[in-house]
Amino acid sequence: MSMSKAYPLPIDISPTTVANTASLVRIVAFLFISGAAIASRLFAVINFESIIHEFDPWFNYRATRVLASEGFYEFWNWFDPTAWYPLGRVVGGTIYPGLMATSGVIYNVLHSLHLPVDIRNICVLLAPCFSALTAWATYMFTKEMKDESAGLLAAAFIGIVPGYISRSVAGSYDNEAIAIFLLMFTFFLWIKAMKQGSALYGTLTGLFYFYMVAAWGGYAFITNMIPLHALALTLMGRFTNRLYVGYSSWYAIGTLASMQVPFVGFQPVRTSEHMGALGVFGLLQIVAFVELVRVHVSSKQFQQLLFVSVIVVGILGTLVIVGLTYKGWIAPWTGRFYSLWDTGYAKKYIPIIASVSEHQPTAWPSFFMDLHFLIFLFPAGVVLCFKELRDEHVFVVIYALVASYFAGVMVRLMLTLTPIVCVSAAVALSSVLDTYIDPVVPDATDGDADAAKKDRSTTPASSASVVELLTDIVTSGSSPSKRTKHARQGIIGLDTRGVVILNALGMLLFFVVHCTWVTSTAYSSPSVVLASHMPDGLHIIDDFREAYYWLRQNTPKDAVVMSWWDYGYQIAGMADRPTLVDNNTWNNTHIATVGKAMSSPEEVAYPILRKHDVDYVLVIFGGLLGYSGDDINKFLWMVRIAQGVWPDEIQEPRYFTPQGDYRVDDQASSTMKNSLMYKMSYYRFPELFGGGQAQDRVRGQVIPNPGPTLDYLDEAFTSENWIVRIYQVKKEDPLGRDLKGANAFDKGKKRKRTRPPVRRRSLA
Amino acid sequence: MAGPKSSSNASKRAAATAAATPSKPAPSSSSAPAPASASTVALHTLWAAYLDATPSRLKLVDAFLVFLVLSGVIQFVYCVLVTSFPFNAFLAGFASTVGQFVLTASLRSQVNAKNRALFKDVSPERAFADFVVGSVVLHFFVFNFLG
Amino acid sequence: MLPSLGAIFFSLFGLFAAVPVQARSSTGNSVLVVLQPDLKRDNFTIFFDNLEKRGYDLTLRTPEDDALPIIRDDNPTYSHIILFAPDIKSFSQDVTPQSLVTVLNAGTNLIVALSPTQSPVFTLASEFSLILPPPSTPLISHFPARDSPPSVIPVAVPPKHPLLTPNTPPVWYSGIPFAHGNNPLLVPILHAPAESFASDTDSDAGAEALFDAAERGGEGLWAGSAMGIVTGFQTRDNSARVTWVGGIELFTDAYAHKSLPSGEKSGNEQFARDVAAWTFQENLVLRIDSITHHLLNETVPREHYTINENIVFEAHISRYDSERGWSPYSGLHDLQLEFTMLDPHIRTALLPVTSKLGLYQAAFRIPDRHGVFKFVLDYRRRGWTILKATTTVPVVPPRHDGYPRFLSAAWPYYAGAISTSLGFFVFAALWLAGDDKERKKGKATKTE
Repeated sequence: MSMSKAYPLPIDISPTTVANTASLVRIVAFLFISGAAIASRLFAVINFESIIHEFDPWFNYRATRVLASEGFYEFWNWFDPTAWYPLGRVVGGTIYPGLMATSGVIYNVLHSLHLPVDIRNICVLLAPCFSALTAWATYMFTKEMKDESAGLLAAAFIGIVPGYISRSVAGSYDNEAIAIFLLMFTFFLWIKAMKQGSALYGTLTGLFYFYMVAAWGGYAFITNMIPLHALALTLMGRFTNRLYVGYSSWYAIGTLASMQVPFVGFQPVRTSEHMGALGVFGLLQIVAFVELVRVHVSSKQFQQLLFVSVIVVGILGTLVIVGLTYKGWIAPWTGRFYSLWDTGYAKKYIPIIASVSEHQPTAWPSFFMDLHFLIFLFPAGVVLCFKELRDEHVFVVIYALVASYFAGVMVRLMLTLTPIVCVSAAVALSSVLDTYIDPVVPDATDGDADAAKKDRSTTPASSASVVELLTDIVTSGSSPSKRTKHARQGIIGLDTRGVVILNALGMLLFFVVHCTWVTSTAYSSPSVVLASHMPDGLHIIDDFREAYYWLRQNTPKDAVVMSWWDYGYQIAGMADRPTLVDNNTWNNTHIATVGKAMSSPEEVAYPILRKHDVDYVLVIFGGLLGYSGDDINKFLWMVRIAQGVWPDEIQEPRYFTPQGDYRVDDQASSTMKNSLMYKMSYYRFPELFGGGQAQDRVRGQVIPNPGPTLDYLDEAFTSENWIVRIYQVKKEDPLGRDLKGANAFDKGKKRKRTRPPVRRRSLA
Repeated sequence: MAGPKSSSNASKRAAATAAATPSKPAPSSSSAPAPASASTVALHTLWAAYLDATPSRLKLVDAFLVFLVLSGVIQFVYCVLVTSFPFNAFLAGFASTVGQFVLTASLRSQVNAKNRALFKDVSPERAFADFVVGSVVLHFFVFNFLG
Repeated sequence: MLPSLGAIFFSLFGLFAAVPVQARSSTGNSVLVVLQPDLKRDNFTIFFDNLEKRGYDLTLRTPEDDALPIIRDDNPTYSHIILFAPDIKSFSQDVTPQSLVTVLNAGTNLIVALSPTQSPVFTLASEFSLILPPPSTPLISHFPARDSPPSVIPVAVPPKHPLLTPNTPPVWYSGIPFAHGNNPLLVPILHAPAESFASDTDSDAGAEALFDAAERGGEGLWAGSAMGIVTGFQTRDNSARVTWVGGIELFTDAYAHKSLPSGEKSGNEQFARDVAAWTFQENLVLRIDSITHHLLNETVPREHYTINENIVFEAHISRYDSERGWSPYSGLHDLQLEFTMLDPHIRTALLPVTSKLGLYQAAFRIPDRHGVFKFVLDYRRRGWTILKATTTVPVVPPRHDGYPRFLSAAWPYYAGAISTSLGFFVFAALWLAGDDKERKKGKATKTE
C-alpha cells in the first residue's frame, strides 16, 4: 500500500471482484486454449479427409469397431483368426483396451442420446478432444508446482507443442492419444495425495493408474516414477506420514487394479520392471514403523538397533528379489528395457525393435523441432524448482532428469518428455513475467509516469495471447504474498520491463508460428494418403487404398496376404484379409519366416509360402515415384531378422556388393538379384522405360534391362504409381513339375534330355 | 510375487503391530543380549503405557491391524507351504489384507491427535470417509480378481 | 401306363440304335481320335468298336486338319482325346504340347501313343516325368524264343493290378520303353520284361556297351523291368488321366488276333479296353461329396471351436460305377485325417460308419493349442482318383467365463478375502458406534 508502483493500478476494486474476474478470465482463457489445441490438430482432416492414420491406429480402429458392434464381452473374448495366420491372435489378452473402451463408452453414450455418430469419427476426433483434457491436467499439475498463471501457460504450451501434436492429430488413433492425459492427471493426483496425505487422492491416483495401465504400455513410467519420487524423499529425510498414506494407498489399490488388465496379468508381482515399486512400498512400511516406534521409545540404543535392523531388512529384501530373479521366479529385465540403457543392444539382439524408426536415438534438431523455445526454458524451470525444492518440486526434478535421458535414447519417448518441458518452461516463463510485471518498486522512488503509461498501453495492446493478459491480471491481482516476497528484488525501470516482456512475447509469438507450421507440414500427413507438391499444385497419391480396395474386391475372403509386418494392420483394416504378420510384433519367428521368404530365391521361398497358405504377396515399391519408405529400403532388416533365426541360410553380407555397398543396379550381388523381394520390386520395371534407362528414383541407380523374371508368382496388381505391387502365388503344377520348368514349357522351351535315374548301387 | 518383499515386511510388520506399538520388544528380545528380566519389565511398562496412553479409538484400529496381519501371514504361509495354485485368488486374498492394512494404518496416523499438524487438509471425519472409499474400491477389485 | 410305355419305347430305341445313350465314363462321352494319315480306322476296329459299344462318340481327324480344334474359346471341345499320331512332326495350330496340357488341366483325358520317332508328342512325354530313350531305339527282347522279330515282344500283364482285369493273358508289344521320373502322379501299368532293353539295332553289336552300363548300376540304360511301356498319369488337381503307351501297335487288330508263343489268344483286346476304361474315368473314380465337422453330440458345424473340445469330422464319399453311376461308397479303410496348423497336430484314421453308406467319421479331441487349424483329407492310391479336401476352422481359447470360476483349492483365499471384508464392516460399524459414544461423552462432559 505504501509501496510505490511502477505503474498505477486501480485501487477501488474489492478483492472479491478481482478474484471473480480472475477466475472468469482463467476459464475463458482455458476455453481458448482447448479450442486452439483441438483446432490445430484438425489440419489432417482439412488437408486430407477424416481418415485413420498410419499403422497401429488401423488396428485400434478395427478393434473399436468390433467393440462397438459386438459389445464389450465379445471384444474381450475376441480371437482374431485373420492375424498372424495361422497362429491367430488372442486380441482380448494382448492389447491395452483402454483406448477402445473409451471410444466405446463415448459411442454408446452418444447413441443413447440419439446422436448417431459414426464410430470412425469418434476415433478420428478422440485424440484432439483428449488433448484439451491434457491441457487441463497439465494446468492442474503446474498449479501445484507454482500457481494458476504458470498453470495456464503450461496448458497453452502443451496444447500446441509439436512434440505432443505429433502423436495426437486427428486420425492418429493410438494409445498415446489418451495416455498423455492420464499420465499428467495421475501425476497431479499423486502430488495431491502426497501433499495432503489423503487416502482419497491416493485411491484416485490408483484408479487413474489403472486407467493408464489399461491404456498404454508406457504405464511402467508411472510405476517407476512415483516410487522414485518417494524413495528420493525418504532418502532426503523428508519421510512423513503423508507420504506413507499417499504412496501406500496408491500402491495397494493401483497394483491390484492393474492386475485386472488381462495383458498385464501377474506382471506387477513377477517382473523386474515392477519390483522397484514393490520395494519402495516395503521400505515405506518399515520406515513408517520405525517412525512410530521412535515416537514411543526414548532409548538411544533401541533406536540404533532399529536403524540397523531396518538396513538389514532392506538389504535382505533386495537380496531376496535378486535371488528370486536368479531362480527365474521373477522375470528379469526385458530386452526392450536393456535397449534403453545400451542403444546398440537392440540392433544386436532384437533387430525387430531396432528396425522401427521411432525406436532410434533422437537427433538433436528434433528436440528443437518438437519443443522450440521451450527446450531453452526447460532447464531454467528445473533450476527454479530446484531452488524452491518443496516435495513436489523434487518430483519435477526427477521427472525432468529421467525423461530427458529417455527422450535422448528413443525418438518415441520424446512424448513423455514433452509434458514436463511444458511445465518447467511455464514455471520459468511465469517467474520471469511475475518479476517483470509486478508493479512494486523496491524503493519509494518516483515511478516514471509516462513510461508507466507506455507500458500499460503497450502490454495489453500488443498481440500477446490471452494468456499474457491473463498472467498480468492474475499475478498482479491475486498474489499479494508473492508480491511482497519479490519486493526486495523488484525491477525499477519500465524500459527494462518493456524489453524483457516484449522479448518474452516475441518468443511466444514465434513459438505459435513454429507450432502451426510444424503441425501443418510435418505431423498432419496420414501416411496412408500421400501428398506431393508438383509445379501444377498438390497431388494426392492414393496408391495404398487403391491396392487395399483391390484386394478387398477381387480376392476371396480367406485369401492370405503376406507382406512385411508394417502393413499388416492396414491390410487387415482396409482390405479385410488375413495376414501373416502385423505391427503387433509378438512372434519373432513368424516375422523371421516372412523375412526369410522375402530374402530367399523363389524356389526356396515357394515351399514357405505354400506351407503358410499364402495366396498373395504384397510389396511396397517406391522406385518409380521416389517414395523412400519402401520395402527395398527396409529389406536389410528383413535379412537381419531372418538371419537371427536361420544364420546358416541367410547371411547379410551376401546382399552387398563385394565393395560392401547396398546396390540394386547391375553390380548388385546375385543373392540380392535372386531374392524374392528384389524380383517382386523390379519385375517388369525396366519395360516401363521402353529402351531407356530404368532409373530407380529412391536409390538413384539404374536397373539392368532384362529385368528379373518370376516363375512362382504372377503379377496380380500394381497400383497407379507402382507403390503397391501385389503378386499371386501360383498353385503347384498339375503335372508335378517344378514351376520353373512348367514356365519354360509354357514358353515353348525345350527340356534338356535326361537319362534314367540310378535305381540301385553298382555291384563293382 | 508380491511375496518375498511384501511378505517380509508384512511379517515384520506382523511382529511389529502384532503387539501394536509394543512391538519393539520383539526384535530386542530376539537380537539384543539384554537381560531377559529387564526386557520383560520394559515390555510390561510399555504395554501398560500403551494401554494407558492410547485412545480407545486407536486401540480399535490396532486390534483390526493385528487381525489383518494374522490373516495375511496365514495366507502367505499357506501359499508357500501348501499351494499357490489359483495364483490370482492368492493375490486377491493377500492384497486385500495388505491393502486393508495400509489403509487402516493410514487412518490411524491421520486420526492420531499427535499428527494433527501433519494432516492439515484431512480432518478425522474426512479421514474416515477416505478410508471407507478406499476400502470399497479395494474390495471391489479384490472380489473381481478372486474368481 | 404312360411312363412305362415311354420307357419301353426308349429302351427299344436304344436297342435299335445299338448305342447306349448313357456313356460309361464319369466325365463325358465325346472322344476325339487324332489318327495319323498312314493309319486307318480299320487297323483298330476292335479297339474303336469296343469304345463305341460302351457309348462313346468317336470323332476322327488327321493331325493337320484344324476343322475340329481340340480347344475352342479356351474350352476343351472333347471329353477325351486319343492321340494316335506318334510319327507326325507337324500338327495343326491347335494341337501343340502346350494346348494338350491346357485341355488336360481343363479335365480332358488323354491316351497318347509313342513311337521311336522324334516328334512333338515325344517331347511332351518328358513333361510327365517320363524319360524317353534316344530316337529310333525300340525295345528289344530275345526272350522268350518265338518266331516274331525281337522288337515284337509278348509282355506278361501283372495278375493283380487295380485297373486291369485279373489274369489277362500276356500282350503283344512293340515300341519304346521309358524310365519313370520321380513323380508320385505316375501310375505304372505295364512294365517292360526283365530281359528287354532299348537298342537301335537288333544285332548283338552293342552288347558290350550294354553290359558295361549294367555294371555301373544301370545308369543311362533303358533296360530291365524298371522301364515302363504303358504308364498312366493323374493330374494333381482334378485327376484328369493320361495314359502313355510306348507303341501304337498294342491297340491294333493284328496284335489282338496274333496268338502268343504258348498258343493262347493274346490279351491285347482286354488290356486295351481296360486301359481306355481307366483313362476315360470309368472306374477307380471317387469323389468327396461333402465334408463337415461338428462338436460331439451336436450336428451343426460351429464357426469356431474351443481348445480341448471333442469334435467329429465327417466326409461323404461316392464312387463312380460305369453301370450304375455315382453311389455312396464305404469301401475305403485306409483314409486318414490330419488336423494341421503348420504341422499336423493330430493324424487319425477316418473310418467308414457301418450305419450309413458312404459316411466316414473321425472323432478326436482338439489339442491344447489355439490357432487356425485345417482339416486335411488327402488320399492317394495308385490308380484311384486323388481325394483331397481341406477346410479351415479357428480354434480359440476358452471364453473369459469358460474357465472354472470357483475352485475348491482356493477356499483359504476366499475365506481370507471375505474375512477381511467382514472385518472392514465390523470395524467401520464399531468406529461409527464409538463416534457416537465419544460425541455423547463429549456432550456429557460439556454439560457437566
